[in-house]
Amino acid sequence: MNPPRLTPLLLWIAATATPALAVDDVQRAAAAFFENEVRPVLVKRCHECHSNTKQKGGLRVDHIGYLKTGGDTGPALVPGKPEESALIEAVHYANADFQMPPKQKLPDAEIAILEQWIKMGAPWPEDASKQVVVTEGGFTEEQRNYWFFQPVAKVSPPQVGGRWVRNDIDRFIEQKRAALKLTPAAEADRHELVRRVYFDLHGLPPTQNQIDTFVNAKEPLVYEKLVDELLASPRYGERWAQHWLDLVRYAESDGYNQDAYRSFVWPYRDYVIQSFNDDKPYDHFVREQLAGDEIAPDDPKVMIATAFLRHPVYEYNLRDVRGQWDLILTDLTDTAGELFLGLSMGCARCHNHKFDPILQKDYYRLRAFFTPVHWRDDLKLVTPAEKQAFDEQQAKWEAATAAIRTKMDALTKPGIDRVVETWRVSFSEDLQAMTFKPADQRDALEKQLGGLCERQLEFARASFDPTKNLKTDQAKAEYKALKEELNQFQHLKPKPLPEAFVATDAGPAAPANLLSTRKGDQEIAPGFLAIVDPNPPKITPTTTSTGRRTALADWITRPDNQLSTRVIVNRVWQYHFGRGMVASASEFGTLGEKPSHPELLDFLTAKFVAGGWHLKALHREIMLSATYRQTARREPDATAAKVDPSNVYLWRFNPRRLDAEQVRDAMLAVSGELDLTAGGPSGDGNGTRRSVYTRKKRNSPNDLLLALDMPAGFTSIAERQSTTTPTQALQLLNGDWLLARARKLASQVKGLDDVWLAVLGRRPTDQERATAEAFLKKRIGMAEAALPATAENAAPATGFHFNSPHERLLVRSNEKEGDEFTVEANVKLDSVDVNAELRTLVSHWDGGKASLESFGWSIDVTGQKSRYKPRNILMQLVGEDENANIGYQVVASDIHIEVGRRYHLVVRVSSTRHSVTFTVRDLDTPGAAVQSAVVPLDGLSNLSRGASPVILGGLNKRTPTRQWDGQIEALRIVAGHADDSALNTDAEKWNAGLFIWRAADPPNSQFTWSGADTGAPQENDPLLKAMTGLCQVLLSSNQFFYLH
Amino acid sequence: MSCHRYDLPASRRDFLQTAGGGFGAVALAALMGEQAQAAPVRLPQRMARTKSVIFLFMEGGPSHLDTFDYKPLLNKLAGQSLPASFKTPLTAAGEAKSPLLECKRTWKQHGQGGLWISDWFPQVAGHADDLAVIRSCASSGINHAGGVCSMNTGSLFGGRPSLGAWASYGLGTENRNLPAFVVIKDSEASVVNGVRNWGNGFMPAVYQGVEFHSDGTPIKYLDNPKGVDRREQRDKLDLLGALDRDFNANRASNTELDARIQGFELAYQMQAEAPGAVDLSGETELTKKLYGMDHAATATFGRNCLLARRLVESGVRFVQLYSGAGSKWDSHNGIEAKHSQLCHSVDKPIAGLLTDLKSRGLLEETLVIWGGEFGRTPMSEKGDGRDHNPTGFTMWMAGGGVHGGQTYGSTDDLGLYAVEDRLHVHDIHSTILHLLGIDHTRLIYPHMGRPERIDQNEGHPFTKLLGAGFTQS
Repeated sequence: MNPPRLTPLLLWIAATATPALAVDDVQRAAAAFFENEVRPVLVKRCHECHSNTKQKGGLRVDHIGYLKTGGDTGPALVPGKPEESALIEAVHYANADFQMPPKQKLPDAEIAILEQWIKMGAPWPEDASKQVVVTEGGFTEEQRNYWFFQPVAKVSPPQVGGRWVRNDIDRFIEQKRAALKLTPAAEADRHELVRRVYFDLHGLPPTQNQIDTFVNAKEPLVYEKLVDELLASPRYGERWAQHWLDLVRYAESDGYNQDAYRSFVWPYRDYVIQSFNDDKPYDHFVREQLAGDEIAPDDPKVMIATAFLRHPVYEYNLRDVRGQWDLILTDLTDTAGELFLGLSMGCARCHNHKFDPILQKDYYRLRAFFTPVHWRDDLKLVTPAEKQAFDEQQAKWEAATAAIRTKMDALTKPGIDRVVETWRVSFSEDLQAMTFKPADQRDALEKQLGGLCERQLEFARASFDPTKNLKTDQAKAEYKALKEELNQFQHLKPKPLPEAFVATDAGPAAPANLLSTRKGDQEIAPGFLAIVDPNPPKITPTTTSTGRRTALADWITRPDNQLSTRVIVNRVWQYHFGRGMVASASEFGTLGEKPSHPELLDFLTAKFVAGGWHLKALHREIMLSATYRQTARREPDATAAKVDPSNVYLWRFNPRRLDAEQVRDAMLAVSGELDLTAGGPSGDGNGTRRSVYTRKKRNSPNDLLLALDMPAGFTSIAERQSTTTPTQALQLLNGDWLLARARKLASQVKGLDDVWLAVLGRRPTDQERATAEAFLKKRIGMAEAALPATAENAAPATGFHFNSPHERLLVRSNEKEGDEFTVEANVKLDSVDVNAELRTLVSHWDGGKASLESFGWSIDVTGQKSRYKPRNILMQLVGEDENANIGYQVVASDIHIEVGRRYHLVVRVSSTRHSVTFTVRDLDTPGAAVQSAVVPLDGLSNLSRGASPVILGGLNKRTPTRQWDGQIEALRIVAGHADDSALNTDAEKWNAGLFIWRAADPPNSQFTWSGADTGAPQENDPLLKAMTGLCQVLLSSNQFFYLH
Repeated sequence: MSCHRYDLPASRRDFLQTAGGGFGAVALAALMGEQAQAAPVRLPQRMARTKSVIFLFMEGGPSHLDTFDYKPLLNKLAGQSLPASFKTPLTAAGEAKSPLLECKRTWKQHGQGGLWISDWFPQVAGHADDLAVIRSCASSGINHAGGVCSMNTGSLFGGRPSLGAWASYGLGTENRNLPAFVVIKDSEASVVNGVRNWGNGFMPAVYQGVEFHSDGTPIKYLDNPKGVDRREQRDKLDLLGALDRDFNANRASNTELDARIQGFELAYQMQAEAPGAVDLSGETELTKKLYGMDHAATATFGRNCLLARRLVESGVRFVQLYSGAGSKWDSHNGIEAKHSQLCHSVDKPIAGLLTDLKSRGLLEETLVIWGGEFGRTPMSEKGDGRDHNPTGFTMWMAGGGVHGGQTYGSTDDLGLYAVEDRLHVHDIHSTILHLLGIDHTRLIYPHMGRPERIDQNEGHPFTKLLGAGFTQS
């Protein structure tokens, strides 16, 4: 206890006891008073709600430190000053809103004890061992001394030698390990090493050639060379960017119900990849993401980094605009705390942190850096020169088309205004007022909230389609004519500039940043964690920006910032070893894990910062250590099993499962299909590009990646899970994607050696060879036995019927019909369903609507009770809509056919023209009129991407309710929108098409019947089929999934 | 707002070894590659009869004012604006000032308890004495996305585990060949926000809900690939098992390796068992009729209700059925037509489910929950519809030991705000865990250094539902 605070106590003792007491006696007397009088009151009256189990109002009274720090409303007591102490105010029941204990007022005697105790200076005696000293700012000495808040120490590597040690890292590791009587593992052999290093730095397996080169190399330093070579490859950035993307919760969609696709966020992903490849110093990297707009507003390569501020989820129609913005700011604050500072701040949003010295005010201080952020939708990702060139050309086009556009606007304005105003009035009145205010008169908050409202109004505006929503046909025709006129000037129009998915501040003045407490709202200025740096930051506003985020970035990237520097070094260590020196890589507080090697962490951190914040140097240092080169193939000996079963002290390399992207990329690499096209817009996960370029929709993630624990992109993720579930196994066993890779691989290999070399980079052992051969032999034997049972391919005279050997016909075709195609057929239907079910003529679909595998379409005829009326020819389509969501649509022709008649049917589908055209001719009635219908189709695309083949007479799934009943004399699919001249009612004259089916033709291997008594079609080649099974098994095996 | 008592297990690993109880938790721990060394210690559980939950989710927001919350004043004031004494609500479509819309229903009191139920639920009304009708529910989500996410996970935004995930995390599964948490929709339309409504959030993937399709193949990827029969599948698994066991032999310390072998075997067993769980051919015509499967209008939901009973019987912990997937209960206009059809489509099936559970003695151990993401406003929208109302709405529970035949809590005289015993979603979730015998303050998942709870430290269980004698542990 500090001597000055003894003074009141001395006075009290002097007044009540003998005057000649030594200090020790004074303390003893104070202790007795506290233990006999004060503590019982606190325990009896307060502990229930304010101690270690509950902390109502954020207050604990079981230690003087807590009392002085206080709760939500500030300190509970001021030593020596009962009249200024909230505790005394509360127990007196003086303030009607603030009475403690709430149920019953304390007896006066007890109130007097508390008052007297505070007057004495609130002495709190305790064991020397448990002594807690509160220092400046209300923090205890213990809190201040917490290792993470100490400056990064200047550490010299321990003087540990020995043959095992390769660099300084090893000295630290060996020292701790030896102290625990643990021994290092042997160095991994070259096979193990090369695989580890490739997966670690590139996320890909080494090719056979790469393995051979390394394993057989004779020159010295071959390992060092390999590491350097891999660090220099662009594959390195693609792999390590993934770690950062996890941390910033990168995703490419809004993540809410609409889950709108963020078409322009991918340049941020490329920015991250490029930054890693360029070995951009980490401090620059951080500064650009936090404040690129303030640092280099004219450089699109830096500006895009501020997409970091755009990653929170967003909903396009949330009327509670304030609430949405508050959540966005909360998200930014939480993420910044975890990502850069290694502290989960979330607890402190509502109250002072229970376990760490993070004040609620600290949370709001951090939040204050982000409160001025403004999501910009008006900027382009170009240089000022490019922008100027665009503007000049745009001005020419605008001048040339002004008259036309004025006329068009006059036509559409009333309709658009109506839509927009209907939307606007659904906002609360204050928000509506913001949207009416001219932009230059808005303050920062009005820009932010008004801007968010306008995004919604813009959505409403865009929903007005003049070609549909104009009221009269005349207006529609006029509009169409004007539009055509406008198109004449297309040559003047500049190419649109790429949108910038970025953020800036709303202006040089910040909006309020209010902390609401029981005592009212309090404006909180920007600042850092009080325990680390209580001083107000130096902030320099610019003409357009508050400068706050630059100040935050400056602080985070200060060489002496003990938080951010340790955090990034620990992350790099974690990604290399599978476990950080602080195992909870985004939580260095007391709720996290204790550091295993704090000295080494500080040593590496100091070196990292002194060396210019280069990650590649850090990788190199780590990877060249003997520690990293240890084998993972070592089982714990008795000592290890006892003192360190989870390998915290690195007596071997940690065995690891490949993560989702590594698995997917490796499967593609193994099958030889990996497409290494770098950068640009993302593609579909069913494709063959690297996983980092897979489209990342928050609400419809890729099945395979999700099953392997890819994060969904809602919160910052520091460490991937590694789970094993039956659904994961089901997907590997039965999913189309892996099977396609296996089939591809099987078609390329000549024998077992090839399979093992491709998948595992080595030849099979004798035992493996025997096991695999037995499998192949067994499977081939079975398949051959089953072969004669395949159905004959001859066309039946009776046509397609359910529960017959001729239910459906599967078409093998290498070409896809795409998004514009024509189906032509001569058909006769014998019956329609008595209920509402359909008769399916032809499909490219399995009937599902939930996944990309189910993209496709079918042409059907409705049943008796259909809401589309009976015998209606219609089409169902599943594809991708404008938001990259899965869209499903029914397009009904309202042309009704008769059963028992022959028809010539033509269906022309065009996603680009947004229409389906049906043309039907009755062939049994000479001179019958041709019926036709053009039906609008929403913007669905990628119709033929699904996994199903074309099927005649049903779906790609035996479905009794979707079965054709009758003849399909002939049917073909032609790519494109076929002209009338290319069509013919006489199928014999057909000569073009992706395929032509004619019932009268001789059997053809392109067509396979599927019926009630046949299973799904068999692969023709039993060896290939068995080999495919073997490849699939090996690609699912533990050896493939684990680096162990 | 304050944090309450909690016990922080030393690590996730410790927790997983001790959480839950019985066989289920061991299986889950094993699946995750955690070694189940010691016998798992049960969480201190209140004596609970409930073993499983069937959550009937009316997606889009069913009107409490036209079904279970009778408000005579509404019809008296129909056509007028909300009286000034009511605080202006923030609504999704901004209908705070629209005239009040009359309720066209006929209301009657039902059962011994005299519960008011409208003529939109005539069959369910027959079970009035089993229903604990909670009229004072509240949520923070004013639109569908926020509302549905909130009712499922407690948060407006994604990223947190769903109620079903918490339940299976706490209690494990009783049938290792089936998932612990199953979701069935009434159409192929997507539920608002998609699959993350039954997501595992920050928990391991083993706790995520698995979507069952009500006919055809019940689970995605359950069927063998085309042209592969069960014998071939077995051969592949044998090959995989042989190779993996060989590989694992010298790597015993890596328990994940063995868990993967088990995962594949479980998948294989699931392939055999899951179709049976959804195969209704063994059910009698009488049973099917009980669920309304003999009429087109009630057949779909009836089938799903019957599936739910079968799944619960097979040991599935948490079944969630969606009615009106894709916000079909949403009725901004034409509420008469939309609600008439939807209420009719679920009334008989739900009544059938309650009857069937009861006659099999399963109702006591199965908690049935009915509700949506919010209710609807007394104010009209577009003349004949109602806007979203998250500030006061009705859910009911039956079975699982709840004391039925009465209402709990209340809204104001127009049904706009919950006024008495207001139960926010956090409270509802805490209550459901309470009914499962779990103290929600002790069911912790450590994440990012924070001891996470289902209710984000804000919920309180509503113990009155258990009636006298069961209020406390």
